[in-house]
Amino acid sequence: MQTEIHARPSASVAKLTLDAGETVTCEVGAMIAMSTGFSVETTTRQRAGAGGLLAGLKRMVAGENFFLNQFTARADDEHIIIGPGLSGDVIHHRLDGGTLIVQGSSWLASGLGIHVDASFQGVGKALFSGESVFWLKCSGRGDLLLSSFGAIYSVDIRDSYVVDSGHIVAFEDTLQFSVGRLGDSWLQTLLSGEGFVCHFSGQGRLYCQTHSPKSFGQTLGPMLTPR
Amino acid sequence: MSSLAFEILQRPEFALLRVQLEAGQRVFSEPSAMAGMATSIELKAGLKGGLMGSVGRMFAGENLVVNTYRAADGPGEVLLAPAAVGDILHYRLSRSRLLLQRGAYLANSDGVEVSASWAGARGFFSGQGLVLLQAQGDGDLFFNAYGAVLQVDVTRDYIVDTGYVVAFEDTLQYSVSALPGLGIGGQAKAFFFGGEGLVVRFSGQGRVWIQTRTIGPLLNWVYPFRPQKRSD
Amino acid sequence: MEYEIRNRPAFANVLIKLTRGDTVVAESDAMASMSSSITLRTRWSGGFLSAILRKLFGGESLFMNEYSTASGGELVLTQPTPGDIECIELKGQSLYLQAGAFVGCDPTVQMGLGFAGFASLFAREGLFRLRLSGHGRLWFGAYGGIVVKEISDEFIVDSGHLVAYEPSVNLRIGLAGGLFSSLFSGEGLVLRLKGPGRVYLQSRSIDALATWVNGHL
Repeated sequence: MQTEIHARPSASVAKLTLDAGETVTCEVGAMIAMSTGFSVETTTRQRAGAGGLLAGLKRMVAGENFFLNQFTARADDEHIIIGPGLSGDVIHHRLDGGTLIVQGSSWLASGLGIHVDASFQGVGKALFSGESVFWLKCSGRGDLLLSSFGAIYSVDIRDSYVVDSGHIVAFEDTLQFSVGRLGDSWLQTLLSGEGFVCHFSGQGRLYCQTHSPKSFGQTLGPMLTPR
Repeated sequence: MSSLAFEILQRPEFALLRVQLEAGQRVFSEPSAMAGMATSIELKAGLKGGLMGSVGRMFAGENLVVNTYRAADGPGEVLLAPAAVGDILHYRLSRSRLLLQRGAYLANSDGVEVSASWAGARGFFSGQGLVLLQAQGDGDLFFNAYGAVLQVDVTRDYIVDTGYVVAFEDTLQYSVSALPGLGIGGQAKAFFFGGEGLVVRFSGQGRVWIQTRTIGPLLNWVYPFRPQKRSD
Repeated sequence: MEYEIRNRPAFANVLIKLTRGDTVVAESDAMASMSSSITLRTRWSGGFLSAILRKLFGGESLFMNEYSTASGGELVLTQPTPGDIECIELKGQSLYLQAGAFVGCDPTVQMGLGFAGFASLFAREGLFRLRLSGHGRLWFGAYGGIVVKEISDEFIVDSGHLVAYEPSVNLRIGLAGGLFSSLFSGEGLVLRLKGPGRVYLQSRSIDALATWVNGHL
């Protein structure tokens, strides 16, 4: 599968070119345009690339279920353009046996060979108090496409690093992390408005996003019609 | 044939249209698009409602509600900004016709007529078709996109999700249907806020402009941030 | 203290490289990520009453954070909305900022709250504005791209598109067209800016975004 990313960092889309028999899985709604040579199958969760049907996952908003479309090319050189829902970035990450922990709404698509485990609870609810955010454990060998709100920047951690909770896109599982406060005291955290942060330590790559959907939502939300 | 002096600034993410009107010259725009203007410009309103009214209320052939800017007291500039973040494109109409998604219309010069067109859906979701405008005549047309714009010159058939169609030349044939494979017991419709799940299949020869974002996911995402109605 | 404004103008953010002894003042919630060697101290800025007023009317947080380091490190500052960030070096002059536009500054810059006048309130720009003065660097952001305009006489700006302006620019409320036109054009009230002076405009408006979204709800 060939990947081209256009319109970074705020209107980013991925143009994927597949040969006959190749498959890419992405969330329903991610498809923007495509050539006509694909067969499309809708499933509720992907496991070991085989598309087994399991109970749907609750997404963070309005009880929307996590449904997937699997596109399989019937001929060579078929292309599909996919993109995320919000303004933001898209990057390609090649997995070669390692594991990447991906923030749920940042997973855009994966090729065959990537195993996506949505039952991963390791990061904990505390990181996003009040929000129901889920994490995906991606492993195997193949192509992974990640998206963000904001531009994506990577930090190759050698020692330790601190990230505000709304800014994590994905990280290698070779890193250890702890959720905590920013300042020395709870009062300072409460007063400084920083909320929870994630302290990463060890060695590995961390993908961050420059903007936080929660901050933008809290700015725009109050101006909208009540629900 | 009217010709506007213009510049598109801040491309492609936050494109802003700057039109330099000569004395007496006019430009028409989507109501609420005005970001700034010189004091020599006279603004005449279209009636309230316009494109900010709910989607689908226009009838085929109905003229678009617009604002009229005229350089009444000498030349002056008008700055126009769409609501969504994204790009602005200019298209020169020459006794030709362009079809555009309703939300894509930004502005036009004298000589161009913009009115409603209608493409009904065929298949399962009648009534949720593509809401299109048509622009025809001689002159300048400006349309905007939510996100970036990808230009596709269709030669073989091409499929585009309806929410991402910005504009296309009328040399193309098009039909609206559900995405093959979508639909688990007819529940596909429930997934999408704003009629997503429908696609346009283009055939023939012509150019399509595609945007890289659409409003449905934004509405879904912002839902929990909206104030809650108090139950009294 | 070096800085770089990255990803302009779509999702501008400031990467600051601090060395030992450097300090930068930033809005709460402005920190996206940073080295572990950066420490922060929270303080009221400009006095308690000023901080309260700023929170209630200025749209800024109640507190400011002072980021510094004993050994050196990096800090990424951002803003809540997509858009551009600009850096200005103040050399004794002042600049007025709209609510929410402040991102960060050198500790030598003074921040105060000023009354913007009722014209500003009716034009939905808020009753108060931030006044930044003194010496040092100031980072401020916008929703959209930042367009700089030197006003010599008068210029009309739609409310929601003004980010910052020099104190020499006077704000007056006005109708966009005649009374009928103003009510129905979707424009309503606008700001009439009278120069001379420099203004910073943003090429998008949160109000317009909200209206567009509401139109689909």
